[in-house]
Amino acid sequence: MKIPLNWLNELVALPKNKRVLTDALTSVGHMLDKVEIVNGETVIDLELRGNRADCYCLVGIAREVSAIFGTKIKYSPSVNLTKVAKLKNTSLRVATPLVKRVGMVEIRNVKITKSPDWLSRKLAIYGIGSVNNIVDLTNYVMLETGEPMHAFDLDKIGNNLEIRLAETGEKIKTFQDLTLSLTKEDLVWAKAGNILSVAGAVGEKYHSISETTKNVLLEAANYERANIRRTVYRHNLLTEAGIRHEKELDPNMVESAIGRFLYIVKKYGWGKFIPEMYDYYPNKVNAWKVNLDFNYLRGLGGVDIPKKTIKKILLGLDFKIFKQSKDGLETLVPTYRTDVICEEDLIEEVLRIYGYDKIPAHTLSLEIPKDITPQFIRQEEMLRNASVSCGFDEVISFSFVKEDYSKYNLDPEVFDQKPICILNPPSPDTKYLRQTLLPNLLGNCQRIINEMGEEVSLFEIGKIYTKSKNKYSESRKIGFIFWQKNDSDFKVFKGKLDAFCNKSQIDLPEYINDIKNMPLSYSYNLKLENRIVGFGGKVEDIFYAEIDLDEILGKERKYISKLWPKYPPQIEDITLSFPEKTKIGDVIQTIKSVNQLINKVELTTIYKENYTFRIWYQDPARTLTDKEVEKIRKKILEEVKRKFGGVMKV
Amino acid sequence: MREEVINCKNQALAQIMGAKDASELEDIRIAYLGKSGKLTSLIKAIKNIPEEERKQVGILINQAKNTIIEEIANKKNSFKISPREWFDPTIPGIPQKIGHLYPTSIVISEMISIFKNMGFSVMEGPEIETDNYNFELLNLPKDHPARSLQDVLYIEEPEILLRSHTSSVEARCLEKLKPPFRVVVAGKCYRFENANASNNAMFYHFQGFALQKGVSMADLKGTLFRFFKTYFGEDRKIRYRCKYYPEVEPSVGLDLDCKFCKQKGCSVCKGRGWIEMLGAGMIHPKILKNFGYNPKEISGFAFGIGLDRIVMDRFKIKDIRSLYNGDIMNV
Repeated sequence: MKIPLNWLNELVALPKNKRVLTDALTSVGHMLDKVEIVNGETVIDLELRGNRADCYCLVGIAREVSAIFGTKIKYSPSVNLTKVAKLKNTSLRVATPLVKRVGMVEIRNVKITKSPDWLSRKLAIYGIGSVNNIVDLTNYVMLETGEPMHAFDLDKIGNNLEIRLAETGEKIKTFQDLTLSLTKEDLVWAKAGNILSVAGAVGEKYHSISETTKNVLLEAANYERANIRRTVYRHNLLTEAGIRHEKELDPNMVESAIGRFLYIVKKYGWGKFIPEMYDYYPNKVNAWKVNLDFNYLRGLGGVDIPKKTIKKILLGLDFKIFKQSKDGLETLVPTYRTDVICEEDLIEEVLRIYGYDKIPAHTLSLEIPKDITPQFIRQEEMLRNASVSCGFDEVISFSFVKEDYSKYNLDPEVFDQKPICILNPPSPDTKYLRQTLLPNLLGNCQRIINEMGEEVSLFEIGKIYTKSKNKYSESRKIGFIFWQKNDSDFKVFKGKLDAFCNKSQIDLPEYINDIKNMPLSYSYNLKLENRIVGFGGKVEDIFYAEIDLDEILGKERKYISKLWPKYPPQIEDITLSFPEKTKIGDVIQTIKSVNQLINKVELTTIYKENYTFRIWYQDPARTLTDKEVEKIRKKILEEVKRKFGGVMKV
Repeated sequence: MREEVINCKNQALAQIMGAKDASELEDIRIAYLGKSGKLTSLIKAIKNIPEEERKQVGILINQAKNTIIEEIANKKNSFKISPREWFDPTIPGIPQKIGHLYPTSIVISEMISIFKNMGFSVMEGPEIETDNYNFELLNLPKDHPARSLQDVLYIEEPEILLRSHTSSVEARCLEKLKPPFRVVVAGKCYRFENANASNNAMFYHFQGFALQKGVSMADLKGTLFRFFKTYFGEDRKIRYRCKYYPEVEPSVGLDLDCKFCKQKGCSVCKGRGWIEMLGAGMIHPKILKNFGYNPKEISGFAFGIGLDRIVMDRFKIKDIRSLYNGDIMNV
């Protein structure tokens, strides 16, 4: 809210240094956004708190200044009004409980003129264009008092007004020539079938004040905030009035605003009126009680404020103290403070005026609670570090899949599973939630390949989102993607995954051929302890694998240090040739299972159909003799021939 | 034989003394200890001497051998400027592939480690949330003015949505955990937002909350100051002011001095000299009551930080869109 300092100064004395003023306002909750000079006037722009409906006006900020600096506020003069149940020419029927209060006055023999300078200049600061003296005055009084008001051409609207909910499809042409089609939730002022205004937001064109207007009906009202708010957002009517009515305004402002309006009308001779206000006010709002317990204030605030200071602060804020004891105060809240409902609100009032900067900074001196961090959070941290140490770069990507990559966004297990869809996506690229980490990692990978890549190895730890049987679920996954410029090799990728498993102290999974619901040129499952823990496959020349983190949670081996063996191994290379499509992983398993003295088997080279294996024979308790080794070797060759048709090359 | 051994040894020592460089020493080593060296031939000849002398001579030869080895080593070390190969240290290294953590992960773990030292645990919660946990239980009823500030992404309107803040995890923890507890949460949040330089439909929140008998605004202030001073530097200035958040009462806003302009006002701080860092306060009594607590018996605080801004500041990323769209290079 813009606050011209000259105008504010008409209502309350200001400190000489404007920095002192803006710092103080910022500290109590109205942050200085910027200082501007508009038409030679200094204007401070404050970011107001959304729950301080009373501050969206000059009087509201003047009250704050008065409370902070202990200076007296000079309320502007206004006309005292007698409240009546009927006006001479106008009657009103309120057909809904959404209206809390309506005040109306008739002004006759109105002189419609150009606004005087002081008036149009003040409105110009807010970017409100000058229309004529009466319309401008409604805006002026709103800026000053915070109560939006509306003036109708009394002769055009005639008698028998009503405030009701609109019929679906009823139309209104606003004074800005905008036609709105209303819903049955929108609150309107109407006469028979004609809509006169959308309550709290915008007026109709024909019934507004024009140069020919002779008599005026002025209204100020208070509505159910939530309803106005829905209307304001439904029809995009964030007008000055709408901004205020969607907040919790004090119904008692209605009367003072009309009184203020009439005072200016009278002062400038813009019309004649009887100081009588039609008042629809079924449930009068009186000041309500909120109590303050000194101990509670001290406990919650963490600061000991003298009782005298507490009282002074509350009185300065217009609270009435009607009872006090050594333990606390009983207060009456001024009705414009619609934000102060409970004791904690009152405590904040005291603290903010006392000064948040005077609250001491304690580091939690209380007992330290036990660490309840769940294991899965530590797991993610551990796996992140393991992946990085195996040469993978981390990526964090969107939980959405871009349109271009939607063909990869499939649940690998469930065919025809549609991704979870956002009902109101801000863009097509934020419409679908991912069902696998593949599409985004693939996008990242291809991006790097196009940029400058020689080798890409990326990983992401994140959630995927699925729905089955009307239940939404989120699973934590780790995805790996790998590509090399020349001869992208699955063996290198698998080696990296092995390294990752080793580093994470998970047993190496089995790789089992499988068909996935994915556009992969081949795919396989990863199996650990007889459970499928993930899958992998190839897209073009890019390798991908994904592991479910909950499936491997708690499967980490405890690290046990090993000593170098005391007795040396016998190491030998054996070259074997196999028929086509022999699974070499199975061959190695077979060799290992021949004898427990076979400590390690490695594949060292592949040449055509010839595979050279390096075999370590080792007994922890002694040195093996050549004879013993020969016996084992013979058994290996027998097994390999029997199971795979493998033959030794000499 | 004994004499031969002693002579051989003395000869060798004399030559070692006179040696001028390492290669001369190497020649001497070969001449005595090499395959057909002088001492080596004596060792070979040991089988020719009478058995009763053999042991004695053996010991002598061993001593001689060790002395020669030792002296060669000593002499080598004594060369003040040892001769070296020609060497080019400017030759480039062969690149080795190493992995990098993502900036967001780095910041999260740095922040968590500071809070861990203050007794905080780490928690997470679902991203697909219900209106209840995301709003209702947090004192944000339907039509609350604060709701429009965080227009949400719906999966099923109006009940199922993507969480718009990590406060939903606070609600779940208040429901599930037994006090006392102190918890931080770092996670993805979502809102209806067309991507621009400073807003994204997905962003990270860093949330903290504590529930413990006796916790006050002073504890909140101390915790936040300790964090900000540790993370951003003891010399940074902090502004601690009143603000409004429906989830807390009293509410707090915390700003950090703008280091880009030294508080003179620039585009980063929008001319204010201060950068808004966080919102905080004492957990609202309505929320405590929602979870069956009596606000007069137990109190708590909560705070929420936009994490992406810290990541951007720390890694000099100007456009928030590049945070999660693959723009960031790992080098």
